[in-house]
Amino acid sequence: MTKFLAVVKREYLQRVRTKFFAVMTVLGPVLLVVFTIVPGLLAGYKAGHDTRIAIVDQTDGKLYASIRSSLLKQDRGADDDASAAVAEAMNSNSRDRMQKAGRSFGSFFVEQVYAGGRPLADIKRELNARIGHDELEGYLVIPPDILQNSRSKVTYYGRNVSDEITRKQIEDRLNRAVRRERLIASGVKEQDVEELSKPIGMVTYPVNEKGEEGAEDSGAGFAMVFVVAFVIYITVLLYGQVVLGAIVEEKETRIAEILFSSVRSTTLMLGKLFGVSLLALTQMGIWVLAFGLLSVFGVGWLAAQGVNISGIGLPHLPALFFVYFFLFFMLGYFVFASIYVFIGSMVTTTQEGGQMAMPVVFLLVAALLMASPVIRSPNSSFAFWMSMFPFFSPITMLVRIVSQTPPVWQILLSLTIGVVTVVLLLFLASRIYRIGMLMYGKKASIPEVVRWIKQS
Amino acid sequence: MSVSPATVVLRNVTKRFGDFTAVNDLSLEVRAGRIFGLLGPNGAGKTTTIRMIVNIFAPDSGQVELFGMRVTPPLQDRIGYLPEERGLYKKMKVGEQLRFFAELKNVNGKEADKRIDRWLERLKLSEWKAKKSSELSKGMQQKVQFITTVLHEPDLLILDEPFSGLDPVNVDLLKEIVLELKQAGKTIIFSTHQMEVAEKICDDICLINRSRKVLQGSIREVKRSFARNAVSLRVSGGDAVLADGSLVSKLDHHSDGVEVLLADHVNGQELLRQLLSSGATVEKFEMVEPSLHDIFIEKVTEIE
Repeated sequence: MTKFLAVVKREYLQRVRTKFFAVMTVLGPVLLVVFTIVPGLLAGYKAGHDTRIAIVDQTDGKLYASIRSSLLKQDRGADDDASAAVAEAMNSNSRDRMQKAGRSFGSFFVEQVYAGGRPLADIKRELNARIGHDELEGYLVIPPDILQNSRSKVTYYGRNVSDEITRKQIEDRLNRAVRRERLIASGVKEQDVEELSKPIGMVTYPVNEKGEEGAEDSGAGFAMVFVVAFVIYITVLLYGQVVLGAIVEEKETRIAEILFSSVRSTTLMLGKLFGVSLLALTQMGIWVLAFGLLSVFGVGWLAAQGVNISGIGLPHLPALFFVYFFLFFMLGYFVFASIYVFIGSMVTTTQEGGQMAMPVVFLLVAALLMASPVIRSPNSSFAFWMSMFPFFSPITMLVRIVSQTPPVWQILLSLTIGVVTVVLLLFLASRIYRIGMLMYGKKASIPEVVRWIKQS
Repeated sequence: MSVSPATVVLRNVTKRFGDFTAVNDLSLEVRAGRIFGLLGPNGAGKTTTIRMIVNIFAPDSGQVELFGMRVTPPLQDRIGYLPEERGLYKKMKVGEQLRFFAELKNVNGKEADKRIDRWLERLKLSEWKAKKSSELSKGMQQKVQFITTVLHEPDLLILDEPFSGLDPVNVDLLKEIVLELKQAGKTIIFSTHQMEVAEKICDDICLINRSRKVLQGSIREVKRSFARNAVSLRVSGGDAVLADGSLVSKLDHHSDGVEVLLADHVNGQELLRQLLSSGATVEKFEMVEPSLHDIFIEKVTEIE
């Protein structure tokens, strides 16, 4: 036991004092924010000027005004005619003024094309030429029967038709405008249209197996599962490689033989796993603590500053859920960490191990993907088996717990299977490790590994 | 053979790796308080034999006994093993590293610190204690590795090529320490292919080749059994005596004298008497013992 602790202590202290650890601890949350928020911002970010669109309205100008006002509205949710009016005013004045106002972020510049009795083909030729000269991004052709015929289609011609976001935006706003005009045309009062088109709200209450209604479900449970799943993912991604490196370390430095003459290989291997795991937990602990402090003090402070950040802070869930979150987080971490140990026992260098560990990441992603079908039918036999499979259960079982908590025996069975898997993986790894350690410079083939397992 | 008890006994030990037999039916005895040379060419099975003694491998058949007991993990704490394949944690400071190895041998606390300081001083490494081992020269690293083998004051020391890569000053320093440890009653197994070193410090040797034992005994016994009845000679005059075929069967001239292989049933004393009475001046007269080197070459090539 003292030898085991000596190994744990060395692994932990050697790593916790490194700059890498300090940097990751600080940088981790920053990266998390960067990776979750920046892609969203980037996807919505449109560089350059407004999207200049011409509209060929063949309904004798009946639709143009409505489409333009719909396109110029910044926020599709807000029903702000005033701002649309302002935009319109600016639009009719000059393009320069609009750009000065800084409205280049995903907004449109709209102009009407007067047919003036010319055939459509001529107008199109002219507009195509303007697109070619980069005077327009695209134009819409509104068919004459659009208000009467529900099958009638609007056509969009544009330079860049792969910009799915802009395309979707145009389509949505066009839809709204056309729907509005159709309703008005069929006799709905203009002032009623907006009110009647508003989406309805749905409030959700869970009912448990005893037929009791629960508190309003805000989706906090799922949010927490995804947080836990994400934390497992990040921890495994960050520390799987560290575990692997720790297991391989003595092979690369040729210390194995001295160590094996002092300590049993299993003790050494487990000591390494626990040392690194303690390190991972330290980091998670720091993060959780920081998050906790932020939600207790920071939120209060921000609220005092008049910033509305409701929604940050721990969701209100049964305390037992948090116990499950913790248990399945630990299980998830150790199941995947022991795969890394297993791989580490077979290879001789970290690089080799890194290559072999690639499938582990796939397994992890598969586990995340399983969450979705399990949410939809948490009591199906599919969900049951997925929540028993040890590489998926840390996520799938949690999903089931927050959706329709399964009987306790299922939860315990899932945990037991997971623990047995960890023990089995570590047991096999320790046998391979012992012999593999002393075979310097040689990666084990599968038959060799099988032989080693039998041999030791 | 001797009265001193055996520290290590191997009885008909065999170890195979797949089809390859690394050690075949090996029996040997290492007696307490002596330096035992485990000699043999590369791949002879030395390292496998040692690994079985330190309980890294278990033999497929046969028995290994340490201190009169079957090998068990707790006995490992009484062994200090310096393998040929040795390394240090590159990024760890020398002091911390030694502390870790001491703890692995169940030496903890102040006692460990005290011993570490003492050994660092003895090996002139005190000022390197706070340095990372990657900053040390190869020779210094080797001395640190040596300390890890002796920190826990083991009763049995196993040194595999301990001097390779060391400068002569450090070789002498380590040799001195090894001999001191022997004086203190420790048993030492010394594995090498440097025969000159083995010849100087070993009391007993065992030569293994191709997984089998080919020779065993005390250095003196072994050498005596290989004596060739030859004399190394530097002499002026006495040419007639040396030309006498009834005394001398072969004469080899070297730059610094001659080597004389005596005829059967003639002993060295007889030749010396004859030379002196012939009026020759004898500057050097020495019965030649075969060197361990020669014996090694002879035994190893004989089998091949």
